[in-house]
Amino acid sequence: MGDEQEIMVRLHQIHKTFGSNEVLNGIDLEVKKGEVLAIIGPSGSGKSTTLRCMNRLEEVDSGSIEIEGEFLAEENGEGVTEYADSKTSRRLLAHMGMVFQQFNLFPHMTVMQNLLEAPIHVKKQSADEVLPLAEELLRKVGLYDKRDSYPSRLSGGQQQRVAIARALAMDPDIMLFDEPTSALDPELTGEVLKTMRELAEDHMTMVVVTHEMAFAREVAHHVIFMADGGIIEEGAPDKLFSDPEEERTKAFLQNML
Amino acid sequence: MNGITDTVLLMLEGTETTLEIFVITLVAALPLGLLASLGRISKLKPLSRLIEFYIWLMRGTPLMLQLLFVYFALPMAGIMLPDIGAALLAFILNYAAYFAEIFRAGIQGVSRGQYEAARTLGMTYGQTMRRIVIPQMIRHVLPPVSNETINLVKDTSLVYILAMNDLLRVARTIVQREFDMTPFVIAAIFYLAMTFVLTWGFKKLEAYYGKYDM
Ligand SMILES: Nc1ncnc2c1ncn2[C@@H]1O[C@H](COP(=O)(O)OP(=O)(O)OP(=O)(O)O)[C@@H](O)[C@H]1O
Ligand SMILES: [Mg+2]
Repeated sequence: MGDEQEIMVRLHQIHKTFGSNEVLNGIDLEVKKGEVLAIIGPSGSGKSTTLRCMNRLEEVDSGSIEIEGEFLAEENGEGVTEYADSKTSRRLLAHMGMVFQQFNLFPHMTVMQNLLEAPIHVKKQSADEVLPLAEELLRKVGLYDKRDSYPSRLSGGQQQRVAIARALAMDPDIMLFDEPTSALDPELTGEVLKTMRELAEDHMTMVVVTHEMAFAREVAHHVIFMADGGIIEEGAPDKLFSDPEEERTKAFLQNML
Repeated sequence: MNGITDTVLLMLEGTETTLEIFVITLVAALPLGLLASLGRISKLKPLSRLIEFYIWLMRGTPLMLQLLFVYFALPMAGIMLPDIGAALLAFILNYAAYFAEIFRAGIQGVSRGQYEAARTLGMTYGQTMRRIVIPQMIRHVLPPVSNETINLVKDTSLVYILAMNDLLRVARTIVQREFDMTPFVIAAIFYLAMTFVLTWGFKKLEAYYGKYDM
């Protein structure tokens, strides 16, 4: 297409420590519009923390975060990182939806109530307005007939698909996934990955932390390999998976096979 | 011939006082306990400390002492409350403290993931508590709240030392006058009937709130 692609998320020199444990030591990354970015790496390498810094579930110690061209966190003159005021922060974060490893559906609400909750109470949309969209989303993830079930009655794969639909009901521009299939029995991962693949085909901008190498290779446009709180290697999936440059990447990928 | 009917009628009047204390205490102490539990988990340290102290005070001293203290201290401080007002004040403060601790445990039983999900959907802290956390907390705390409520039925009999004519005091008066133990048996039946109704009610509530985790 040639034209400059819009940057949806930009992290610049992100540092983050928990106590005395330096978890991120200078992360730089960009996510372009319509792009699927996969983040892979060994356990404890900082993948989740990177993702959670994007939507302020964790706050960074230093560095800057831009969402769709606006600063969520910015380094001031003295090199101290300051977050945007709560109104701006809220507005920027509304562009992002998140899907968790443990689904985190609201157990006391039906599937449909889970989808309607935020559009009605956060966006102040009317039920009439959101209902058609919510129904369409449930059809899309293949769970329309479960609309009145409580989450505890659904399989893990079904719950995760509801969680994806719930995030989409807020009409986000960017979807963050933190190991969305890691809590699932192997026979249930396929249905969730299928839903995510369809989302990618609809050109949703996605950041996916995953251990599903086949999925990353097939669906991602760009792959980042992290270890020890840093980005070791990144690139197009074909290159990174079949011909990695770094020893650590090679060792990790060998282990995953 | 004042038969058993008269005795029961007399005792119904006592039951009225007992029920009044029970109902008003419950209706006031539950929301007050909820507020206290929210203050207790608040990030405002002075508020949290203050409520911790209040809970410690209320749970660390006998309810009987609190009743007597309020009953005698208020008039000394120039505050004139009717007897029942003094009793209610002590009961409400005491029970709110117990409920606060139950609610706090229930709130802390709601997983972090629920807060995070609510936050990524743009919900404020208030919305998260009101719509996500507290409804789930209620489900978890029903059994201990049921316990405390049944305790309250029986604790109402403590007002007897304030010379208030509750169920137990009326029963004792008749027993002393007539040298007949029947009023005590009737009182026991009244208390049992109240706890029976409560147990049944809480079972229904648990079934209602349990519909989502079958
Ligand atoms: N809230 C926290 N408090 C303290 N330490 C934390 C916290 N969250 C993460 N850590 C630590 O930060 C490091 C990176 O954690 P992170 O969850 O980002 O890793 P990860 O790459 O997502 O690992 P996994 O594949 O196991 O999910 C780990 O050492 C972890 O123990
Ligand atoms: Mg992780």
